[in-house]
Amino acid sequence: MTIPGFILRNALRNKRRLTLTVLSVALSLFLFTVLQTALRELSQPQLTEQSALRLIVRHKVSLANVLPSKYQSRIARVPGVKRVSRLTWFGGIYIDESNFFAQFGCDANALFDILTEVTTDPEQVAVFKREKTACMVGIKTMNRFGWKVGQKVTLRGTIYPATLELTIRGVYHGGIDETNLFFHHEYLDEATGWHVVGCYWIQAANADAVADVIQKVDAMFSSSAAETKTETERAFQLTFLSWFGNVKFLIGSICSVIVFTMMLVTASTMSMAIRERTREIAVLKALGYNGGQIFGLILAESFGLALVGGLIGCVGTWFLAQNVDMYVLSHGFFVKFEVTPHIVSAGLLIATAMGVVSCVAPAVASVRASVLDGLRELD
Amino acid sequence: MDQPIVQIRELSKVYQHGDIEVVALNGISLDIGRGEFVALMGPSGSGKSTLLHIIAGIDRPSNGRCVVEGTDVGDLSETELAAWRKQHVGFVFQTFNLIPVLTAFENVELPLLLTGLSARERRDHVEAALELVGLADRMRHLPRQLSGGQEQRVAIARALVTDPTLLVADEPTGNLDAHSAADVLALLQTLNRDAGKTVVMVTHDPKAAAHARRMVHLEKGELLNGG
Ligand SMILES: Nc1ncnc2c1ncn2[C@@H]1O[C@H](COP(=O)(O)OP(=O)(O)OP(=O)(O)O)[C@@H](O)[C@H]1O
Ligand SMILES: [Mg+2]
Repeated sequence: MTIPGFILRNALRNKRRLTLTVLSVALSLFLFTVLQTALRELSQPQLTEQSALRLIVRHKVSLANVLPSKYQSRIARVPGVKRVSRLTWFGGIYIDESNFFAQFGCDANALFDILTEVTTDPEQVAVFKREKTACMVGIKTMNRFGWKVGQKVTLRGTIYPATLELTIRGVYHGGIDETNLFFHHEYLDEATGWHVVGCYWIQAANADAVADVIQKVDAMFSSSAAETKTETERAFQLTFLSWFGNVKFLIGSICSVIVFTMMLVTASTMSMAIRERTREIAVLKALGYNGGQIFGLILAESFGLALVGGLIGCVGTWFLAQNVDMYVLSHGFFVKFEVTPHIVSAGLLIATAMGVVSCVAPAVASVRASVLDGLRELD
Repeated sequence: MDQPIVQIRELSKVYQHGDIEVVALNGISLDIGRGEFVALMGPSGSGKSTLLHIIAGIDRPSNGRCVVEGTDVGDLSETELAAWRKQHVGFVFQTFNLIPVLTAFENVELPLLLTGLSARERRDHVEAALELVGLADRMRHLPRQLSGGQEQRVAIARALVTDPTLLVADEPTGNLDAHSAADVLALLQTLNRDAGKTVVMVTHDPKAAAHARRMVHLEKGELLNGG
């Protein structure tokens, strides 16, 4: 027998309890890695053919910094750029601040050629293009406020000192976000007299051009007063989508609860195991095992238990990712479901850290207990 | 007789429970020489176990000194004391205290895991120790597959395997029937006589004590007849 053998023998004493504990840790880690994978997939560019071609150019410093309007023609001339539209976040208030939704100033002529995956009525779009104060609104926002086509909507500017009096000329359906309102950038320019642009929205000619366009656009303005940062639309949106922060927070909270539960389970198992062995631990001390060695034995057992549970959980997640079509299961929400080494190692690290942390208190107590008190303990 | 292995001088042990003081040992002086087999006797509560625990380094004196092979046990830190016990003391308990999930062989091997011995050396030592207690054929048995007397002999093998300076035993026959008790006592006697082990045994059974070469009587924490 070796020291690891002795630790193993100790761990295997109560097989039913060991099994339950390992399975609890495994289940916790399974949930943890699945949720983390889901979170990662949400944060990843979710590429459809059209959206993969769309890029956003913004000020390098922050979204609060604006770009000159003269950039538009220069961007349009970059090889690989098929279309470019201004896209400026207006951030206006509709009646009350609580009625939040996104509003963008854009080039009405280019908008729906770039935003190809949404469905619109061509007649409505034609009207929208002609009328400077017209706007197109996503179906969700239409329904939310009970708006009708033809209705006037007043948006009070918060960022821009302007109040826009818009007329709804059409509705769009589909796409990643059905809540936006799009209006003519020219109207904003006139209302403010500023002629500045929040972002430029690029449609690349083809997928091969994307990387090149990103590099060329940023290079072109690298020595200008307003340097740019160009990124895929998906990457950009994630900093924007209002629900994403909440989802992230929610998943984060659930993961913390899982980690905490995992700790309670291992802690209760280890304190039971240690309590049962009070007398044996005293015997080991009498035989010459010192505090550090006793502590090491307990720590290793708890660590091993958490590690095995963690590994089983990770294998479970891997199995799920291999054998279940998450694209179908999630109705297209997850295009891929890739369990990365990073997620697996983070999970295992957390599981084993919990294993270690959860046994520290009972281990320290048993190290401190006197040999005589331990020997007096009844079996 | 050369330098005694154990030198106890004016040793006292007082347990404090709030206002109440229990004097377990009161000014004991005692020498134990190399190769002796001492039986500590006395009525219940006379301090036999307390004295044995101090000699074995699992308890500390309140006053006085207990020097074992030149080391004042009271001066050592907990960690030093553990290392000291590993080297100098083999413990035999009344209730055997074998680890139930380990075989006889593994129980005996337990103290050797702390040493730098190779697996092969450990096996040789364990087999020799089990041979000595007459249980070479029970090496693969778990404690529950052994009789009480056999369990205690495994415990003695475990105490011996590190070749300690002292073998200490607290009522080693207390949980055994007369026959097994006789076996265990005969074994201790053999170890003392043939292997030259120094044995200190607590007992209140005069028959058990008769196996020792010397009897020390305690009463109310003091030695009768000066030891
Ligand atoms: N931890 C303790 N706290 C308080 N008093 C104690 C403690 N341990 C022992 N004593 C007291 O010290 C005295 C000596 O106890 P000890 O166990 O040495 O007696 P003993 O001779 O071994 O008795 P027995 O034959 O019953 O085992 C007793 O009066 C006992 O009550
Ligand atoms: Mg006693």
